[in-house]
Amino acid sequence: MKTLGLIIVGLVGAGLVYATIDFPPFGDPKSPASLHVSPRYLEKTVEETAVPNAVTSVLGDYRGFDTMFETTVIFCAGVACFLLLRIPRRRSSGPRQYRHRLTGLTFRIKEGGEIFLPLREFEPVDSIWTPHDFIIEKVCRYLIPFIQLFGLYVIAHGHHSPGGGFQGGVILGASIILLSVSHNLRTALNRMGEKISALFSPVGVFIFAGTGALCLVLGYRFLDYQALAALLPGGPIMARSHGILLVEVGVGMAVMGTMVWIFKNLASRGRYDEGL
Amino acid sequence: MIWQLDLLILTLVVLCGIGAIMIRDLLGAAILFGAYSFMMCLLWAIMGAVDVAFTEASVGAGVSTVFFIAAVYHTTRRTKD
Amino acid sequence: MVIDLIVAFCLVVGLIFFAGGTLGLLRFPDFYSRLHPAGKLDTMGSFLVLLGLAIHQLFPLTLGTVLTGLKLMLIVVFVFLASPTATHAIVDAGFRAGLEPWRKGDPRR
Repeated sequence: MKTLGLIIVGLVGAGLVYATIDFPPFGDPKSPASLHVSPRYLEKTVEETAVPNAVTSVLGDYRGFDTMFETTVIFCAGVACFLLLRIPRRRSSGPRQYRHRLTGLTFRIKEGGEIFLPLREFEPVDSIWTPHDFIIEKVCRYLIPFIQLFGLYVIAHGHHSPGGGFQGGVILGASIILLSVSHNLRTALNRMGEKISALFSPVGVFIFAGTGALCLVLGYRFLDYQALAALLPGGPIMARSHGILLVEVGVGMAVMGTMVWIFKNLASRGRYDEGL
Repeated sequence: MIWQLDLLILTLVVLCGIGAIMIRDLLGAAILFGAYSFMMCLLWAIMGAVDVAFTEASVGAGVSTVFFIAAVYHTTRRTKD
Repeated sequence: MVIDLIVAFCLVVGLIFFAGGTLGLLRFPDFYSRLHPAGKLDTMGSFLVLLGLAIHQLFPLTLGTVLTGLKLMLIVVFVFLASPTATHAIVDAGFRAGLEPWRKGDPRR
């Protein structure tokens, strides 16, 4: 069976390599791809949308439907992870551990029982407890704000440099994941709870689709940002640029929420109590 | 575009891909997959598609490796085949 | 001319540091000693390479090039913070997992 698979993979690979011989050479100006659509975008982008980075304008404006459904796909991935993995928490049952902050004593409650003393000196800990590492916690605590600032910069500066909603959203989500890895899952859950991360992804998709629907309401086509000139200053060309920014914010929110959501479901086996 | 550099990185991409399939340790496979993503990121940066390279570096090499490791942490490190 | 020489010096020394780090990663006998070059030499090498690049693009001295140089130096700051911390975390994890350090006379692991 394995040999058969290897033969099939080899044949398909050889076919693909054979097909690439017929491709036009890299950067060929006479290839069909760079004769019809690309020059139009590259020449008219700054005139029509006031966005110097052609990739962002193609993603956000000319091919807005693609990006909208890509965002929807990411949202669907988050929902699928949630539906597959999430186990509803049964309150105050099963073993749990509490640690006294001052003395370091750890209590284990085997089963049942009422909720533990609500004193500030006790913290709930994981079953595989590792001591807090001073260096890692401090360095991550100082790095995370810079990472988040960089993520916001990537989202906001996507018009002029490489970047945009996807990359910035992933960086923002990675900062929360770094918090979870360097401290523990409970700290990350206190910062960004399940409900917030689960809310961010549909809200991001809603911002994207809502921008399109707003254009529809204002009498233009779906995702035709010229319509926003009625609401924003700067005329129809700047309105397209601002529309791209709105859409990028939506994409960033959706991606950030989904990344954090998937990570929490994966890292805690859907129980949201302890994990990586 | 320097074709020697291109060829070197392409070879590394193929090696990382084969290694990620062949290795029996799933954690090692996740790390090799991260290396594969990083090589693809370099290749795209060389070709001038900086946006794609940025996405690949953040999603492929960063977050998806963490997802794989989280999945391996809760399942098993050994493959059956 | 002088600036080009400085840049070349920085890049070459940085590459030597990187090569030393890779060689150490391959040649040292166990987990902890392998992380030693990986943590230190890569940080130093990236510092020198980025310093060389920052000086190189500083040539027509304008506000833009100075800002780019500062951004490159900012990368160095974050690498200096993050790379030793990552090495520390890996060593800590290995120590907690009960990995014995290598002693003289033991076989390579």
